[in-house]
Amino acid sequence: MMSFHRVLHDERVWSFALVAPALVTVGLLFIYPLGFSAVSAFSAEEGGWTFANFIKAFDLYSNDILFTVVIVSLSTVLIGFFAIAIGGYLTLGENPYAVAILKWLYRWPLFIPFIVAAQLMRTFLAKNGLMNNLIVGSGLLEPMQTQSFLDWRGIVITFVWKQTPFVALLVAGAMASLDRSMIESARNLGASRIRILVEIILPQVRPTIVVGLILSFVVMMSVLSVPIMINAQTPTMLTVDMAFRINAYGDYGVANALGFISYLMTGVVAWIYLRQGVRQGAAP
Amino acid sequence: MRKTFADFVAVDDVDLAIPSGSFFSILGPSGCGKTTLLRMIAGFLQPTSGDILIKGRSVLDVPPNKRAVNMVFQHLALFPMMNVAENVGYGLRRRGMPREDVAKKVEDALARVGLPGSGTKRISQISGGQKQRVAIARCLVLDPDVLLLDEPLGALDLKLREHMKVELKKLQHEFETTFIYITHDQSEALVMSDRVAVMNAGRFEQVGPAQELYYQPKTIFVAEFVGDSNKWRGRVAAIEQNRVTVTTAQSGRICGVAAGPCSIGDDVEVFVRPEAVALSRDGSTLQNMANQMDGEVVSVLFNGAASRLLVRARETGDEIDVALPQTGEFNDLQAGQSVSFGWSDAQTKCFVIG
Repeated sequence: MMSFHRVLHDERVWSFALVAPALVTVGLLFIYPLGFSAVSAFSAEEGGWTFANFIKAFDLYSNDILFTVVIVSLSTVLIGFFAIAIGGYLTLGENPYAVAILKWLYRWPLFIPFIVAAQLMRTFLAKNGLMNNLIVGSGLLEPMQTQSFLDWRGIVITFVWKQTPFVALLVAGAMASLDRSMIESARNLGASRIRILVEIILPQVRPTIVVGLILSFVVMMSVLSVPIMINAQTPTMLTVDMAFRINAYGDYGVANALGFISYLMTGVVAWIYLRQGVRQGAAP
Repeated sequence: MRKTFADFVAVDDVDLAIPSGSFFSILGPSGCGKTTLLRMIAGFLQPTSGDILIKGRSVLDVPPNKRAVNMVFQHLALFPMMNVAENVGYGLRRRGMPREDVAKKVEDALARVGLPGSGTKRISQISGGQKQRVAIARCLVLDPDVLLLDEPLGALDLKLREHMKVELKKLQHEFETTFIYITHDQSEALVMSDRVAVMNAGRFEQVGPAQELYYQPKTIFVAEFVGDSNKWRGRVAAIEQNRVTVTTAQSGRICGVAAGPCSIGDDVEVFVRPEAVALSRDGSTLQNMANQMDGEVVSVLFNGAASRLLVRARETGDEIDVALPQTGEFNDLQAGQSVSFGWSDAQTKCFVIG
């Protein structure tokens, strides 16, 4: 048996002691619930394995599954577009005042929780909300012509508003770290600013954009407050369905099946993320 | 031209004309304003006042992507996601040239810079010197009126730098494009340029051919910055025509030529090139020289053809840098040995301080 003195001087013991808290945390808070959820999704109430929960989930919520994929994918695309536009302007903008104002403003939504963002959007996007009041006030529309955006559009707007700063922060940082002379060199060779953004900058910051968008995709897949507060009608997102199955019926089987489907969706993008990380040498 | 950043004057009323097809260098220490000047010519900065004319036309209102001026950047700024041919053809594609014409011009440009058939190589697959040539070809293929070069040899090792100096000069002759080259390395400027401007604190101290800057510096800064010199501080004791006698702080006496008007009693700085100092074992060959001293070798600084001796003057204790003649006559000199040395007054420049 190893003596206590030898144990104290064994590097492997110390290495394990250092990573043990992280391992325990991951095991208890991630692997165990994930495994438990997956097992529950495939378990019948009377015992044994079954696909019944998945069949029921697809019967009842296939529209919501599609809705979730479309909403989150559309939001991801729009987030990418706006993040690139913000990062591009911060990198290539020639008006120092506009750049300074944008740099100061664009990060604000980062510090606002989803539930608060959803509440803000409810008051902003409703039929008689601030947005329509402004439009009516400016004479662009009559009060009767206004419409509520508290549907799928509201979810997309909230997700884009909330997540764009996060991706823009990553993208703008990556763009700022590029060799400035490469941008000037392209300009010197005759490229317009939009062409520099598309042909010179984006190919070099593409890994950062992909990582930012994947992380946003996963975050949006898990948000409950936004769809439940903005779009209570059907179709809605899977997080709302899961909450409903549990709160209304105590139906953990179908809720776990829906959760497992969410895992699969995020698993696909996580695989892209990990592959990106391996290509870069280490995932950020 | 003048360029200020808040209270800081980066370029202070610089006025110059560069003949078409010449190799013009701007030489100065870091922070002297030479990069700012170059960036104004390229269009990346607007002058606070003044004008830039290329072929007689003002280009101030022409954005950088429309100016007939191309620039080779300090770190070359080649696009890593493109291969060599795509890099060289980038500017041509921006001009909307048909693909076949681009390919032909790119191959021609690569051949002219000594890289035929390298178009498909990735940037990471070519050497530092080849990258240099790709960066130059990428600009020259656009047939610019002016090619700006921002210390492009700075990142190369010494041997390659020496080689590229010659290559750049050859390329400039071959393409007959006006080159404006900025550097803090005097040897780059002196070797390649038809004319050199020495810049200090935002101003041009002197503009002229390399030989003129080296042999007839007009200011203390140019005398000190261009080439190596022995320097003394002293006071003018006598003047005869433009010949002056200076008493140095160490009570030595040096005869030289005044670089400008001066009077007896003026404080001056005196400069003598190491290669202007002649050595003698017994002083017999120095009799015609206005300045003669006896001394002792402090150390031999061997550097091949550029070897030097550090000699301490016996009378004043001054340490003087002397170029070691390459005739072989003094190859046996060692520290501690006595030597005589001297130089003519014509090769001694005196500048009034202030």
